[in-house]
Amino acid sequence: MSFWQRTLAILRKDLIAEWRTKERLSPMAFFSLLVLLVFNFSFELGGAALHEIGPGVLWSAFVFASLLGLSRSFADERENHSLDALLMAPGDRGAIYLGKMLGNLVSLLFIEVICLPFFALFFNLSPGFFLLPLLGVFVLGSACLSAAGTLFAAMSSTMRLRELLLPLLLLPMILPALISCVEATGLVLSNRFDANLFSHLKMLAVYAIVFVSLSLMLFEYAVEE
Amino acid sequence: MADDDIVIEGASKHFASFVALRSIELRIGRGQFVLLAGANGAGKSTLLRLLAGISRPSSGRVLIAGQDPQRYAEARASIGLLSHHTLLYDDLSANENLTFFARLYALPDAAQRVEEALEQVGLTEQRHRRLRGFSRGMRQRLALARATLHRPTILLLDEPFTGLDQLACDALNERLRTLKTADCTCVMVTHRLQEAAELADRLVVLGKGRICHDEAWSGSPQALIDTCAPFLGAPR
Amino acid sequence: MNAHNPLAKVLPALTFTAMLLALGAAFLYAPTESVMGDTQRIFYFHVPAAITAFICFFLVFLGSAQYLRTRQARWDRLALCSAELGVLFGLIVLVSGPLWAKPIWGVYWRWEPRLTSMLITFAIYVAYLMVRQHGANAGQAPRLAAVLGIVAFANVPLVYYSVDLWAADQQLHPQRNVGLQPEMRYALWMCFIAHFLLLALLLLRRLDLARAEEAVEKLRQRALAKADY
Repeated sequence: MSFWQRTLAILRKDLIAEWRTKERLSPMAFFSLLVLLVFNFSFELGGAALHEIGPGVLWSAFVFASLLGLSRSFADERENHSLDALLMAPGDRGAIYLGKMLGNLVSLLFIEVICLPFFALFFNLSPGFFLLPLLGVFVLGSACLSAAGTLFAAMSSTMRLRELLLPLLLLPMILPALISCVEATGLVLSNRFDANLFSHLKMLAVYAIVFVSLSLMLFEYAVEE
Repeated sequence: MADDDIVIEGASKHFASFVALRSIELRIGRGQFVLLAGANGAGKSTLLRLLAGISRPSSGRVLIAGQDPQRYAEARASIGLLSHHTLLYDDLSANENLTFFARLYALPDAAQRVEEALEQVGLTEQRHRRLRGFSRGMRQRLALARATLHRPTILLLDEPFTGLDQLACDALNERLRTLKTADCTCVMVTHRLQEAAELADRLVVLGKGRICHDEAWSGSPQALIDTCAPFLGAPR
Repeated sequence: MNAHNPLAKVLPALTFTAMLLALGAAFLYAPTESVMGDTQRIFYFHVPAAITAFICFFLVFLGSAQYLRTRQARWDRLALCSAELGVLFGLIVLVSGPLWAKPIWGVYWRWEPRLTSMLITFAIYVAYLMVRQHGANAGQAPRLAAVLGIVAFANVPLVYYSVDLWAADQQLHPQRNVGLQPEMRYALWMCFIAHFLLLALLLLRRLDLARAEEAVEKLRQRALAKADY
């Protein structure tokens, strides 16, 4: 189907360009590590406080890193006005959104995987079975972040104060998902695989589905003139 | 007329209270080469963006081959745009750029077309180099290859000569002449009347969002400059 | 709201009367609640303000969706003006809530689900207004705001669901229909009427102002265009 073909073409193009320059990946990764470091000093973490504050610290790092990446995610398209070319291509423009969103999702997951060992190291977490379900939480949470984030990044990329406005838009909107990310991560870290965890994962799935479908409908309006 | 390639019916475009275009009526037949002239801010680029389906008219409508390019993908597939921006990705190679656009347009024989297009603009040897290392002329050649990769029947040209040296200009001119004989409908916005005079067979002048002059054209460059002068304001 | 419009003459007087009646109903007519005492009377303003705020948020959604469909400036004006009033009524909720909470819960603020949800929703609409104010240039503002108005409204149930999940054990909000005496219910209705009338009045006035602003801007543009010749 040509919708998916175009989605994958955009995803591939973004990943190749990103892998070559790493102009988003490396600052994002370093920034998220710095956030871990800063929180460590602000809260005197480690040991007992881990299950209380750890998940929140981890997700704060991810959210801030994603803001950094998202604000640049349409920079390539702006540079030579190639967004115009994307808009002129035939077919549903939702494919542009989906391709970009998947690109952001992959970058974010990449950052999270890099961050995790450092988190474990700083917070004295020994590796174990929890890593697998934790990865599941990461995938769902990052899907939420990039679903909403890509739409707002597209919108703010044409605004005057784009770097300033993206966090203002994204942070309050992402809160419902963020709450569940933190809770689910906390439950996984303390080995509690119960109905509560399931509700939070469900919440994340619903959020991601709602935002992806809304964005597919609205993206056209967000980028046209 | 049913065989008009481009039909603009009472199209206006507002940006909040600023009016960029006021009820434009324009029909362009297949194979015409229209030169769109006008002072800065007359609405030339806005009109071109309406034709490209990038921008939607505030009122009225734009039809490309009988269809609204905003809503119909097929209508968009028949349009190409060559602008002074390259619309390319500097971190990808020439080959990757064209392959990406071939995929975007779901072209059946992508690899072969990319091959041909690179050949045509003389970039076959540099095909695996990234665009960051390209000169302005090379980029614009690749931009032309990109704009015509899907063999559009309508080519929109937005200041395509900007930043090109004489040699590159001539090459582009040559290529446009070929397209013209191949029955491609062209609409060109440019300040380089010298180059345009030899290509255009119709002159449309915009002023303050309205069409203020429209005639079939077959004059010399100097005649074109003289004709346009009163609409372009005082000579700088 | 045209000056010749009969609504324009009647509505202010009607609103004023309703507000006086609402004050009387809340402070004089309604009996003092047995457990919370006079503090409970805040509820006559807190609850209607909350409902009014959500009506505003719905109007933002309606205006946004209709604007994208029709591209008529009046729908965009409706969205903008409703968002401002929604934030205003939201602020009343967020101020009256803690005032009530201090004597009852002993603290001004608790991360209690309803309060938290209202705060997040409030923040979303403040962000909406900021984007309108500072972000977009005039040509694109209505379109981008419309997209945002739709997304923001869709997000409201998600906020409520997620916050409920997060603080299920913190649920301290007085539940609906618990032990409201008939007099209390009448007083509440009166307050609802007063709030709705106030919303209608403010909204119509604000829409007038928005129209006037647009007319001025249009004149300015025309003057600028003339100056070019």
